[in-house]
Amino acid sequence: MLRHAVQRLAMAVPVMFGVLLVGFLLMQVVPTDPATVRAGPTATPDVIAAIRADLGLDRPLYEQFGLYLWRLLQGDLGVSIINNVPVTQELGATIGPTLELMVASLFWSIPLGIALGTIAAYWRGSLLDRAITALTVAGGSIPVFFLGLVLIWYVGFKWQLLPFTGRTGPLWTWEGVQGIILPALTLGGVFVGPVARMTRTAVLDVLGADHVRTARAKGLTERRVVTRHGLRNALIPVVTLIGLQIGFLLGGAVVTETVFSWPGVGRLAVGAILSSDFPMAQGTIIVLSMGFIVINLCVDLLYAALDPRIRHA
Amino acid sequence: MRKILGTALLAAAVAMPVADALAQAAPRNTLVVMREIDAESYDPHRSTARGAGEVVYMMSDTLVSLDWDMRTVRPGLAERWEVSPDGKTYTFHLRRDVTFCDGRPMTADDVVYSIQRWVDPATRSPVRWRAGPIKEIRARDAHTVEYELTEPFGELLYQLTLFFASVIDKNTVERLGQNFGVQGFNGTGPYCWASWTPRQELVLTRHPTYSWGPPIYQNPRPQVERVIWRVIPEANTRLAAIQTGQADVTQYIPEIAVNQLRAVPTVRMSQQPNYFWDHFMGFKVDKPVVNDPAVRRAINLAVNRNAIVQATWFGQAQPADAYLNPNVTGFDPEAGRMVPQYNPDEARRVLDAAGWTPGADGIRVKNGERASFLVYGLQTAVARRYLEAIQADLRRVGIDMRVQLWDATVGWGRLATQEFDAFVMSYPYISATDGFALYFDSRNRPTPNRMNWNDPETDALLQRAKTALSEADRLAAIQAAQRRIASNYVWLPIAREGLWVAAAQRVEGARAHGIYGVGLYKGLDIRLTR
Repeated sequence: MLRHAVQRLAMAVPVMFGVLLVGFLLMQVVPTDPATVRAGPTATPDVIAAIRADLGLDRPLYEQFGLYLWRLLQGDLGVSIINNVPVTQELGATIGPTLELMVASLFWSIPLGIALGTIAAYWRGSLLDRAITALTVAGGSIPVFFLGLVLIWYVGFKWQLLPFTGRTGPLWTWEGVQGIILPALTLGGVFVGPVARMTRTAVLDVLGADHVRTARAKGLTERRVVTRHGLRNALIPVVTLIGLQIGFLLGGAVVTETVFSWPGVGRLAVGAILSSDFPMAQGTIIVLSMGFIVINLCVDLLYAALDPRIRHA
Repeated sequence: MRKILGTALLAAAVAMPVADALAQAAPRNTLVVMREIDAESYDPHRSTARGAGEVVYMMSDTLVSLDWDMRTVRPGLAERWEVSPDGKTYTFHLRRDVTFCDGRPMTADDVVYSIQRWVDPATRSPVRWRAGPIKEIRARDAHTVEYELTEPFGELLYQLTLFFASVIDKNTVERLGQNFGVQGFNGTGPYCWASWTPRQELVLTRHPTYSWGPPIYQNPRPQVERVIWRVIPEANTRLAAIQTGQADVTQYIPEIAVNQLRAVPTVRMSQQPNYFWDHFMGFKVDKPVVNDPAVRRAINLAVNRNAIVQATWFGQAQPADAYLNPNVTGFDPEAGRMVPQYNPDEARRVLDAAGWTPGADGIRVKNGERASFLVYGLQTAVARRYLEAIQADLRRVGIDMRVQLWDATVGWGRLATQEFDAFVMSYPYISATDGFALYFDSRNRPTPNRMNWNDPETDALLQRAKTALSEADRLAAIQAAQRRIASNYVWLPIAREGLWVAAAQRVEGARAHGIYGVGLYKGLDIRLTR
């Protein structure tokens, strides 16, 4: 197991390197000059040139990338062009809210997705199955921003039940819980469908397997057969899907955080890009990509733990 | 498309009745102001952004203030002032009860320090010219400031109402260095800096001893304990929040929603009729095609400003039928009448008469040159929309307009070059002389006089308007300058933006001001009823 983990970790290194390289190159091709941004709209060419030299932008690209990597290895992500605050400091303040939002989204969407999928599989072909399938397909097809707006319109605006203008407090307070409900419903809403559909397929496969028939023959209750012998064995592909979807959840978080003014990494990324704050934008790209890689790594390891055949393959 | 659909959705929503119970109202005694974007800094001498101004006006004061009519200068930190007969020396008598947020009394030395910092080339203020041709600024005593100019500058008092002229605390500036206005601020305004989380929110607390607000307000003291300037980038969220009371005030209202919002009983809308923020297209008068006055006149005739205002601002702007807003000080109605109004047939006749004949592809040609020109602008949704409409209008009369929009971070640099033939822009102004002296003075080439307008007669008129000692002489000069420019079709005036401030049910006294585009100004009459 340890060897498998080390192997997967080693494979993540070139991926991270690729992400850093692409992120760096993307910032080079956008039609914006960080030196001009820092210098202001009325700066003279010599001032801009001096700032370019300060930032190392007058060096060859490979040198700039090398320097960037070297600083990164030392934990130095640079300083925001906007407010001269270290990027790590601002990122540190926004990672928490993003994690909160993701956990809150998964907290309700995974159990609901698994439950709906299991119910649909058990009553396969029934009206209930069709209703769940329709619901999950529709849910998975709705863009995150649209779901967010609809929730703001009805729950926040028309019925005035919940706040929707940002984080209203820590999660251990009632205000904080109220504030996270709509963003979490939005972000998790797109998660339920894929989990339910995958669960339904997996449970259907397992329910027809020999060991389930044996369990029934032994006289176990249907509840025990489905939950212990059916669902448990069906969870491996579901876990894989969840892992992959959590990665995509990071993308959804960018949109959700913008719509709900949630002070997370996603919103920071959008703000940094719109204000041409290059160091900050690169920092958010690193965090979001690392999040994606770490999540995938965890899924790989979890997958191996659930199915020992994988680690020996 | 996504944004338009989303905005339309919420625009429909605003028409719905809202229940009286505001389950999620903003915090008690805290005013939550929503805006679209943050500023990069709140240093009044370094930033020219409207986003900076709207907070700086609350954190600091200027020597003089501007009334709601946008014409009358009122006392501010100076309770009275005199101008010497030669118009070169302004003597400001300061109030004696003013303190900074840290409790230190404000004196004439602080005023001198602030103005000197503003105009110091090392500060690199993009708008230091607004302070006028300063010879010397000195403190005669602790409460008297003498502001001496090398020549009369009739615009000075107007310019000193702008937030760039804010008085700030020297000690805080020196302590924070480049981070003044980023990590802290110390001014004499009705509210004090508490914290700033860039791109999220800036928190201000009430200045406890503040009682020297401008006389344009009923209350000289702030009425609210705390003000939170919160960035809500999504227009839909802002609209919903203002109606449900989750936030209190905003001036960032999508034009598509203005009419519906006016009908919502839980929202109070305030409009400033004297709002001077205009959009225009300027022509480089020495570049091929647009160097022909006939082409410039035809462009003015060909563009349907009414349709553009409907399509771009959903009717919530005014078609700019003149170079300036008719309500601004120094406006010349005769110059206004010289601006050609929509008449595409006349545009075709003008082009025919000037020798521009339709080519095989429908674009006119003269002496082998196609009637085609390149426009630069900054990348905004508004600019994109109205340029598409102008492009279509011009195509109908045989003129090809090519468009290149730039991100703001590189756009300003591009707009200082000679690589384009015309450009579009919007700008705030406080008087006719303010707007014209900025754009049409030949010394301001290549920017902000991007038209390369180099006319000694205009320069002389602008100089006369700026230095005149009598109001009549100043008016005569600036009006003549307007006629000179209008008769040469140097611009295509496009639209005059509107300003609305929307306030939630619990907010009283939120009135749209509009100085330099800032909706709330000092907001001293704003009161929360619960």
